[in-house]
Formats: sequence, structure tokens, C-alpha cells
Amino acid sequence: MEATQAAPVKYDMEVVRWFTIAAAIYAVVGTLVGVWIASELAWPFLNFDIPYITFGRLRPLHTNAVIFAFGGCVLMATGFYMVQRTGATKLWSNGLAWFTFWGWNLIIVLAVITLPLGITQGKEYAELAWPIDIMIAVVWLSFGLNHIMTVAIRKTSHIYVSNWFTMGMIVMITYLHVVNSLAIPVSLTTSYSIYSGVQDAMIQWWWGHNAVGFFLTGGFLGIMYYFVPKQAGRPVFSYRLSVLHFWALTFGYVWLGAHHLQYTALPDWTGSLGAAVSLAMIIPSWGGAMNGMMTLSGAWDKLRTDYILRFLVVSLAFYAMSTFEGPVMSIKTVNALSHYTDWTIGHVHSGALGWVAMVSFGAIYHMVKKLWNTEMYSDNLVNVHFWLATIGTVVYIVAMWVSGIMQGLMWRDYDEYGALTHTFVESVSEMHPYYAMRVIGGIIFHLGTWIALYNIVMTVRQASGVRGINAVPAKA
Amino acid sequence: MDVVVMSANDWIGVFYSLVAFIGMVAVYFMVFRPANKDMFESQRSMALDDEGHINTGEKR
Repeated sequence: MEATQAAPVKYDMEVVRWFTIAAAIYAVVGTLVGVWIASELAWPFLNFDIPYITFGRLRPLHTNAVIFAFGGCVLMATGFYMVQRTGATKLWSNGLAWFTFWGWNLIIVLAVITLPLGITQGKEYAELAWPIDIMIAVVWLSFGLNHIMTVAIRKTSHIYVSNWFTMGMIVMITYLHVVNSLAIPVSLTTSYSIYSGVQDAMIQWWWGHNAVGFFLTGGFLGIMYYFVPKQAGRPVFSYRLSVLHFWALTFGYVWLGAHHLQYTALPDWTGSLGAAVSLAMIIPSWGGAMNGMMTLSGAWDKLRTDYILRFLVVSLAFYAMSTFEGPVMSIKTVNALSHYTDWTIGHVHSGALGWVAMVSFGAIYHMVKKLWNTEMYSDNLVNVHFWLATIGTVVYIVAMWVSGIMQGLMWRDYDEYGALTHTFVESVSEMHPYYAMRVIGGIIFHLGTWIALYNIVMTVRQASGVRGINAVPAKA
Repeated sequence: MDVVVMSANDWIGVFYSLVAFIGMVAVYFMVFRPANKDMFESQRSMALDDEGHINTGEKR
């Protein structure tokens, strides 16, 4: 089969538009909750003794909102967008895509209701009650089936690497979600995991780290390999390297979960294995980051004027940084200092804000122009958003790095008699300035999401206003 | 290594470890084989080529 160049294909893009707008809204909501709970940690009175807004209940709401609501909608929007365009075909089932859209959003609404009520399984990044877990599996499979079948009916001979990343994510997240969520229900809102003790911990972090590896890394690398070349107007620097990147990530990531459990009841060798493979993963991760950056060869000057490209390139810098930092933190010597401290929170947000959110907004802005066949309402606002996102991320992670390393050093310090030099409460007190600094970083980043939402809404309104008269064609 | 005391889980782990290792070696061989270079690199611009058959669908 060869690409059909003669007859234009009419794609199913309305559902992509809705996923894109939903993602922009969830970015605002998710980071707003994040700012609020960061403020609660700095100034605990802010929970006002209302159980529904305590840190313990809102924290999973924040993680679910940013990972699964924002991240999920970005992945589904871009997944459906890329697979149609690179396959020169419309979706296998437009109706099923709408089922995915409404099903995914229903799950998000249920999360917003149940998590503040304290209905949780207590498993990190998998807190939702068992009936919602089943809904997630069904809706996720509807996305997966539609995507894979659209690949199957493509009119191009080759399956572009972005679609491989998306399909790898679909297969692995299905497997991870189902195994991690296996539980015995005792009521509509209560269930007990079938795992216990150290097995439960191992399954938890097998899921936890691979949610990072396949959902927040693999899926978004698919986005990177499509949108960086598109926005730069340059072919991928090395397609062979992108293939190697995909398979190395797929083979390697599943081994890493145990590095979250150093110095626990887990057998020592499993943590060592997790750390060893983590270090090995630096090679494909940096290879991929370099591949993305080198795609700009001959087009670096575009960074002066193309603010969308700035999002994409800076996201790659954060991707490289966090995929180096993670393996270093998994080494037992470093882990002895970093584990259970805010350094981990800084590392996670380096990846979440710097990599995932930045590459997402780069893709969202690119798609908005294409989907509504117009220019952005304000390029300057894209630039303002870029700087707010970058500065906010840096302020946030620097605060957590300093706070985390200070925590680790205070906890391990002891005097000449072998007694701990500092009480735990002293370390908490010392962290306060950095917690306040984190709130400031979060607010800066959060302001950027409002600007993005405003700019996108105005762009859509602008496009709707001129449609039917003389729509402004977007640059290729 | 005491093979006799290895459990079924151990053997499953060994099996998947070997599959991953052999699979990775196969991928490296396939990707870096000079004869395959043109086949892979001919897809470099695939993301750019989709403009020729683009129609962004129905718009409201």
C-alpha cells in the first residue's frame, strides 16, 4: 500500500477538537488543585478543618486530574490525530471515539466526586474505587481498539513511529491497570487488593513506575516524534534511532519499578536490578532526546519566533534532565539520601511540568491551529505562557531539590554519641520557606494554563467568526 | 545458582529475561545493519508528508 496523495481524506477530527479543549480545561483545574494542596502544606490552616479538602483527599484528586484528565485527554486527542494523518485514513469508528470521549470524562467526574469523599483504594495513582476501575478498563480498551484498528485500515505502507509508541502505551497500560487493580469487592465503594505485604508493594510500584514509563513517557514520546518534526518543518534526525528508542524503552521500562523500594522488605537484588536497568535506560532516553533536538538542525533560528517550537524543545531538555536524574536517584547510595524526601517530588515535577506539560502544550497549540484552520488568537500570549511555564517549573523544582536534600541530610545527621542531631519536627520547620517557594512556582505555572485556555478559546471563537466567509489558512 | 531449587516463578523470570535480551539484540542488529539504513531513513519525513492528503474534516 502506498500513501494516497490524490484524493483528500476526510478525517474524524471533531472528537479530537473536544479532547483538545477538555485537556486545556483540565490543565487549569489540575494545577489549581495542585497549588491549593501545596498551600495547605505550607499553611495547614487552609484545610479549614473541612475533611473534603484536606491534603490526603485532594492530593489524589490533583494527581488524577493532571495525569489522567489532562494527560489522558492530550494522549487521546493526539493519538486520534496522528493515527489518521499518518495513516491517511479516518478513524475505524467515529462513534467509538465519542464513546471514549464521554466515558473518559464521566470517569473524571466520578473521580472529582469520590476522592474528596474519601472513597479510595489507597493505591498511589490507582486510588479510584473498583467500579470506576472497571469503567477505566472498558473506556481505555475502546480507545485502544479504535486506535489499533485505525492503524490496521491505514492507507500507507509504513506505521509511523509515533503510532508504535501510542500502541505500546495502550497494550502496557491495559496490562498494568488490570493486574494492579485486581481486588475483591465487599461493597460498591470498598474492596481489598488481592495482594498483600511485600507483593502488594512490588505490584504497586510495578504499576506506579510503568504508569510513568508508558503513559507519561512512551505516549508523550509518540507526541514528540510527530509534533517536533511538524512544527520545525524538518524530518526526524534519525528514524533508526527512533525505532531503537521505542524498543529499548518497551523492553527496559518494565524492570524499573523495584528501584522505588530500596532498603525495604523486598529482596535486595530486585532493587539492585531495578537500579541497574534504570542506569542502562539513560542511553535510549538521551538518544531519543538528542534525536528530537537534532531534528532542529538547520532550523534553530525558528526558536526566535516560533513560540510553539520553544515548548517542544524545552520539553526535550527537561526529558533529558529527568531521565538522568531518575536513574541517579535509584542508585542505592543516592537513594539512601533522597528517598522519602521532597527531592522525589522535585524530580517528578521536573518530568511532569517540564516534560509532559510542555510537550503537551506544544502539541495542543499546533493542533488548535490545524483543527480550526486558523492562526493563534495571540502569538504573544503563547510566548507569555511559555515563560510562565518555564519559570514556574524551575522555581518549583529548585525549591523541592533544596528542601529534599536538606531533609535527607538532617534526617541522617547524628552526634558523637550516635544520637540523631535533629528531631523530625525540626526538619519540618526548616522546610517551610521552600514549601512557600513551591507555592509561588506552582502559581506561576498555573497562571500560564489560564492564559493558554483563554488564548485557545479566543482562537476557536476567532475561527468560528470567520468560518463560512474566508477562513485563514494555517501555515503547513 | 542452584537450579534445582528454582521455582516456577524463577523460571518464568529467566524465560522473559532471555526473551527481552535476545529481542533487544535482534532490534539493535536490525536497526544498525547497513543494508536496512535506507529502508528506515526513508520514513524520516513521513510526519511532514501528510499535508498532501489533509482535510481536517467537518467544521462547525
